[in-house]
Amino acid sequence: MAEDPAAAAVGGGGGGGRGGGGGTRIVDLTDDALRAVLARMERGDERDAFGLVCKRWLRIQSTERRRLRARAGPAMLRRLAARFSGLAELDLSQSASRSFYPGVVDADLDVIAAGFPNLRVLNLQNCKGISDMGLIALAGGLLSLQSLDVSNCRKLTNKGLTSISSGCRNLRSLHVAGCKSVTDNLLHSLSKNCLHLEELGLAGCGNITDSGLSVLADGCRHIRFLDLSKCSKIGDIGVSKIAEASSSSLTSLKILDCFNAGDTSIFSLAKSCPNLETLVIGGCRDITDESIETLSVACSQSLKSLRMDWCLNITDSSLRCLLSHCRHLVALDIGCCDKVTDSAFQVLGMVAFELALKVLKASNCLRITVSGVGIVLDYCKVLEYLDLRSCPHVTRAICEQAGLQFPESCRVNFDGSLSENHGIVDVFF
Amino acid sequence: MATTGASDGASAAKKEGLVTLMSGDGEIFEVEAAAVAALSVTIRHAIEEGFGDRPIPLPIVGARALALAVEYCRKHHSLGGGAGEDSAAYDDELRAFDHNLAKVDRDTLFDLIEAANYLEIEGLLNLMCRTVAEMMKGKSVEELRRTFDVSNDYTPEEEEEVRREVSWALD
Repeated sequence: MAEDPAAAAVGGGGGGGRGGGGGTRIVDLTDDALRAVLARMERGDERDAFGLVCKRWLRIQSTERRRLRARAGPAMLRRLAARFSGLAELDLSQSASRSFYPGVVDADLDVIAAGFPNLRVLNLQNCKGISDMGLIALAGGLLSLQSLDVSNCRKLTNKGLTSISSGCRNLRSLHVAGCKSVTDNLLHSLSKNCLHLEELGLAGCGNITDSGLSVLADGCRHIRFLDLSKCSKIGDIGVSKIAEASSSSLTSLKILDCFNAGDTSIFSLAKSCPNLETLVIGGCRDITDESIETLSVACSQSLKSLRMDWCLNITDSSLRCLLSHCRHLVALDIGCCDKVTDSAFQVLGMVAFELALKVLKASNCLRITVSGVGIVLDYCKVLEYLDLRSCPHVTRAICEQAGLQFPESCRVNFDGSLSENHGIVDVFF
Repeated sequence: MATTGASDGASAAKKEGLVTLMSGDGEIFEVEAAAVAALSVTIRHAIEEGFGDRPIPLPIVGARALALAVEYCRKHHSLGGGAGEDSAAYDDELRAFDHNLAKVDRDTLFDLIEAANYLEIEGLLNLMCRTVAEMMKGKSVEELRRTFDVSNDYTPEEEEEVRREVSWALD
């Protein structure tokens, strides 16, 4: 079988025909080489099959595994910890609807703290059974933790969360939405200890104030994502401090229903945050055209999603400015902005770029008619979702009568029969 | 394509720009230093460490795999400048070369993976591993054992245990 090796391979064509027999087999490969093969297998079930072939392959597959989503139970977690010693990501999040079932409990967190020393990402969303004691254990064991999601873990208080912020100094992302007892003390601790923090979800943490945000801004100067929705005590002072401190880092800010935030907040964002992509100001009813127009110009190259439903002072003037400047705008919610009329959309005919708009929500826009919607359909060629609920002049019947043609790719919500949780809408706001 | 190929005399006069490689089974290859150094991290380091005028020993790489790996380096160096598959230089000729190389018999395939891994030739390792991964795709555990001639060292209980763990880990 000793033919010229180079010729055999490079000549190509005729190769392939030789049978095995005494040569190298896959079992002769080193661990490194087998790992390299495994790394090219993408599907989870195929990787699992690989591990089931023999014990050595299981060891390779297990130690290679970096990400795991699992159902809990301390005994099983202990086994998983022994097997997946190199794990970096663990997802134990529960479904929000299974509220009767505690899911993960503090005893599980003890196992995680001791068994997964390399963990960087831990998702415990909706694990309603966990308490501060569990978090204190995590903070003692997971020194490399960079991302923690404990949204809607309602038992948690400052005590447990500040132990995380002082123990896990590399924290980049923290989600505590719905942990209602959180106060400014957590922000103080983050500001002091977690200087690399980029992402912070505080939605529904109603005790947070401007003073806490100001302290946060002093230490954490690279915030990329901040969700303060329904933190109704916050206002212009806090938002402006964050905008100034994080400046070009800030890409996403959500202050839904923070009705104390007004034009001053928007002017600060326009002045300091040229990379802002997502802004949610629904329910901030004091905001006016003046600041939105300034923002449209300042963030014309970055703004992708803007939710400003219930901003009742907004008129055609804001909308014209947004549509004619923000070429990357993908999603826009002007629900209940009842001063908006058809004439706002006429600007679309004069816009020099292709509109990227995929989602337009205009429910309760009382003055919009089929003529306005017709213009939108003419110019927004990639529109995928159009919300027209409670628009008295744009019902299904009126549209049919007027012969309005909706493209097949666009879903239109006339009467709420389409689920509000249409995937594409969630993605953007 | 003219090759400097395998030469029998290890003592052949040293030519400018050549480097000598010695396979695990003792065969000597004189190859263009620039080509192999551009593609193989291991050989680049060896040359930098002053192996330039002595044969570089590559203990775990057999002659057959080494010849193919060298050919791979030459081809990719001369045609693509060593750039990866994403670059514009990765043209039809290189693609066809890679495609043919991936058709080698199974023994050689595994030899080449080991060689590419040892020599740190990223593109070759990727090509060969992808080929094997492709063979594994869609096969059941039993089929994998049969195809690759791996004996099952699990007891039925152990296998069941691991399957259960797999079903607990959701992704």
